Amino acid sequence: MTATRILTLPTLAILLATAPHALVHAQSQTAADSDVFTGIWRRPNLLGDIGGLRSMLGRAGVTMTLTDQNEVFGNTTGGLKQGATYDGLTTLTLQLDTQKAFGWEGGTFNISGLQIRGRNFSQYYLGNLQTASGIAASPTTRLWEIWVQQALLDGKFDVKLGQQSLDQEFMTSTGSAVFLNTMMGWPMLPSADLYAGGPAYPLSSLGVRFRGQPTGNLTLLAGVFQDNPPGGPFNDDSQLRGSTRWGGNFNLRTGALFIAEAQYALNQPAAGEMDDGTSPKGLPGTYKLGAWFDTASFPSQSIDSTGLSLADPASSGNPKMLRRNASLYAVADQMIWRPTEDSPRAVSVFARLMGAPGDRNLIDFSVNAGITLKAPLPGRDDDTLGLGYGYARLSSSTRATDQAVALANGGTTPVRSGEHFIELTYQAQVTPWLQLQPDFQYVFAPAGGVVDPNNPTRRLRDEAIFGLRSTVTF
Amino acid sequence: MTSAIKLSRPLLATLAMALALGTQSAPAAEPKGFLESIKRHAVLGSTVPDNGDQNPYAVVVAPVSAGLIQKDDVLVGNFNNANNLQGTGSTIVFYRPTTKKFGQFAQIPRDLAGCPGGVGLGTAMIMLKSGWVIVGSAPSKDGTTATRGDGCLIVLDSQGKVAATLAGANISMPWGNMAVIDEGATATLFVSNAGFDLGPPGEDAPMLAKATVLRLRLEIPQGKPPVVTNQTVIGSGFGAQADADVFLVGPTGLALAKDGTLYVSDSTANRITAIPEAATRTTSAGTGREITRDGLLKRPLAMAMTPAGHLLAINGLNGQVVELDPAQGKQIYARWIDPNKAQTPPGSGDLFGIAMTPDGRGFYFVEDEVNMLVLAQ
Repeated sequence: MTATRILTLPTLAILLATAPHALVHAQSQTAADSDVFTGIWRRPNLLGDIGGLRSMLGRAGVTMTLTDQNEVFGNTTGGLKQGATYDGLTTLTLQLDTQKAFGWEGGTFNISGLQIRGRNFSQYYLGNLQTASGIAASPTTRLWEIWVQQALLDGKFDVKLGQQSLDQEFMTSTGSAVFLNTMMGWPMLPSADLYAGGPAYPLSSLGVRFRGQPTGNLTLLAGVFQDNPPGGPFNDDSQLRGSTRWGGNFNLRTGALFIAEAQYALNQPAAGEMDDGTSPKGLPGTYKLGAWFDTASFPSQSIDSTGLSLADPASSGNPKMLRRNASLYAVADQMIWRPTEDSPRAVSVFARLMGAPGDRNLIDFSVNAGITLKAPLPGRDDDTLGLGYGYARLSSSTRATDQAVALANGGTTPVRSGEHFIELTYQAQVTPWLQLQPDFQYVFAPAGGVVDPNNPTRRLRDEAIFGLRSTVTF
Repeated sequence: MTSAIKLSRPLLATLAMALALGTQSAPAAEPKGFLESIKRHAVLGSTVPDNGDQNPYAVVVAPVSAGLIQKDDVLVGNFNNANNLQGTGSTIVFYRPTTKKFGQFAQIPRDLAGCPGGVGLGTAMIMLKSGWVIVGSAPSKDGTTATRGDGCLIVLDSQGKVAATLAGANISMPWGNMAVIDEGATATLFVSNAGFDLGPPGEDAPMLAKATVLRLRLEIPQGKPPVVTNQTVIGSGFGAQADADVFLVGPTGLALAKDGTLYVSDSTANRITAIPEAATRTTSAGTGREITRDGLLKRPLAMAMTPAGHLLAINGLNGQVVELDPAQGKQIYARWIDPNKAQTPPGSGDLFGIAMTPDGRGFYFVEDEVNMLVLAQ
C-alpha cells in the first residue's frame, strides 16, 4: 500500500511524460521474451522488468528497489512469555540519477518508504534491551529517507542533504549486518541513549553529511542532524508521535547531533593503484573510529530535578536533565582466512565497541562481535554462517541508583548489571532475489536482570529464541 | 642587487649539479609502461538503453563518421536484456565525447532470421571505415548456455539497421573482441568462436578444446554490405567451458600487432598466446605460441594494444587491467581500474571490454555490474 502511494507521487510526471514511448517498448519487449518466467531462478529480481516498468523508470534515470521481509520469532523459555509472533517490512526506494534524468552530473535524489507490520516480538515476549529483530518496529506506513546528494571532484567528495537515517552510513559493519538482532545493525548504545534511538531505522531526520576520500584507503564522514526525530520528551518519544507516524516530521526545534567517522580500508585496492605482483597480499579489513556529540539535555541516571537521589523515597522520580551528551566508538571488520585469493569461502571477524558518560545514559558501554563464514558449503557461494555476541552494560549511575534502592528496601529489588546475547544464524541465498535465514538467539540476564513482572520474586529468566526471516527483492 | 647576483651563481651551479645528479640517480622514474601514465578514471555514464538492456561487453571506438555515428564515438554492446539474462541483449549504444551524451545506435530483433538461436550481443564488435558495424551474437533463451544457439555475425548499416547476417559452420558463438585490418574496400576480420559443442553449465560442464580464431576476408562493394570472400581458421583447440555465472569462458581478447602477430587471451588456460602471420597464414596455428601465463593474469578477457605495442588485458577474476610486453613475453604490472568491494576479489566479474582512445593516451572500459562506461586517461 505504501509502495503504491510513494511510487505514484514523485514519479507521476515522469511516467506520464514517458508513457507513450514506454508502451511501444513494453510491447516489443514482451513480444521478444518468450515467457515472463524465463530465467526466473537466475535473475536478480523476482518480477524482472515488471512488464517494462523498470526499464521505463530507467529511461528517466530512476532505479526502483522493492524488498519485502517477513519473519517469525518464537521464545521457548524465559522472558515475559513463551510463544511466537510475526512481523514484516516492505521497503520501497526510488533513486534518481540526475545525469541520466536531466544531464546534471554527479547528483542523486533518493526517496524511500516503509510499511511496517506485525507485533514487536521483543516488546511482548522478551522484555530485553537488545531486541531480537532489526526490522520489528511500531506498525505504520511511513516516508523514510528523502535526500539529495552531489558528488564532486571525480567522486572523491560528496555532500548529502535532507531527511537521513544514520544507520545507513555510520557505525556500519559488514560482518555484523548478516545477523538479525537489532543491535547488530544500529547498536545498543545510541539506541538506548539518544532520543527515540536517534535518526536510525525506522526513523530519520533532517541534516547534512559530508564525505571525503583524501586517499584511496581513507574515508572521512561528518554530519550534523536534528537529534530527535519524533521531537518528544526523552521518556515519551514514540515512533508514532504526531506526524512521525507517517514520516512527515521535519522539525528542527530539538538538539543538534554532530557525528564524524574515519574509515580505513586495509589491504583493499584503491582505484588507480598499481600492482607489480610482488607486494604481499594481506587479507582485507575495514577499521572505523567515530564520535558523536548531542547538544540536547539528557536524563540523569542518579538525581532528580530537585537534586534528590532517584533512589530517595522522597524523589519526584523526574530525573534532572543534564546538558549535552557524547560517545566514542570503534568498528573493525577483518577477514582472517580464505583458502585462495579468489575463493568465495572466507572467515571474517568483526567487533563494534562504544562508550558514553554513565551519569546521563542508561547504557554506558556496548559491544557486539562475531565471526562469519561465507560459502560454508560446496555450491553455496553466497550463503553465510555466523556466530555473534552482544553485550550492553547498564551505566555506572544506573547501577549505583539500583544499589541505593536495593539498600533502602532491604534488597528486594535487583541491581541491574548487563545483558548478553549470542546469535547463531545462517543466511541462505536461495535465488538471487530470495534469502531465507533461520536464526537462534539466547539472551542472558534480559534487560540486565530486571524483575520478572509475572513473578516479582525473581529476575526475568534467560531466553531461547528461534526465528526465520525471508527477504524477497521484487 | 649585485651581491644577490654574486650569490646566485654558486646557487645555480649547485642546483644544476643537484638536477644532474637527480637525473642520473632516477632511472626508476623511467616509465615502465603505459598504465602508470593514467591519471584518472572518469565515469562517463550509464550504458542502459531505452529497452533496459544491461551488462555492457563490447567497446569499440568509431574510426569514421557515418550515419548516426560520429568519428571517435564509443560504441557499447549489451549482452543482457532488461531481466539481466545473459545472451539476450540486443542493443548497441554510443557515447559521444564531444557532447558527453549517450544515444542508441541499434536495437536488433531478438529473433533475427539468419542468426541461429537469436541475438545476444557479446564482445565481438567492430566498425569499419566504410561505416558498417559488425557485431557478434552468442545467444541464449534463458540466460544460460543450456538454451544457446550458434549465433552469427550481424552486419549493421550506419543507421543501426540490420543489413546482413553471417553464419555457417565456422561460426559458433562469436565471443571475443575482434581485430581488424581495414583497407576501406576490403577488410580482414579476426574473431574467436567459443560455442562448438558447448552444453549447459554445471559442475560437470566439460572443458572443450574446440574454440577457434577465424579470419574472414571481406569485400565491401560501394554502398553494399560486406561480403565474405574467404574464411580461414587460423587458431584452434582453445579451451571453452559453459559457466553458470559468466555464461561461458573461452578465448576472448584479440589484438593484432604491426608485425602481423595476433595475440589471443586464452582465458581457460589463463595465458596469452601468439599466432604468427595471422593475416597471411593458410593453416591453423593451433593455440599459438604461449607468450605469458598466470602471474597477474586472472582469466584474461578483452585486450587492446597501446601505441608502444604493449598489450592491455582485462582480468575477469579481479578488477585489474594487466599490461604486458608481448615481444619480451613479460608482464609489466597491473592497475586496479575497478576496486568494487561488492565482489570477491574486488571487481571480479565486473570488467569485460576495452578500447584505446583515438589519441592513444587512454582507454575506455565498462563495468558491467553497474552498467557504466568509464574513461581512464
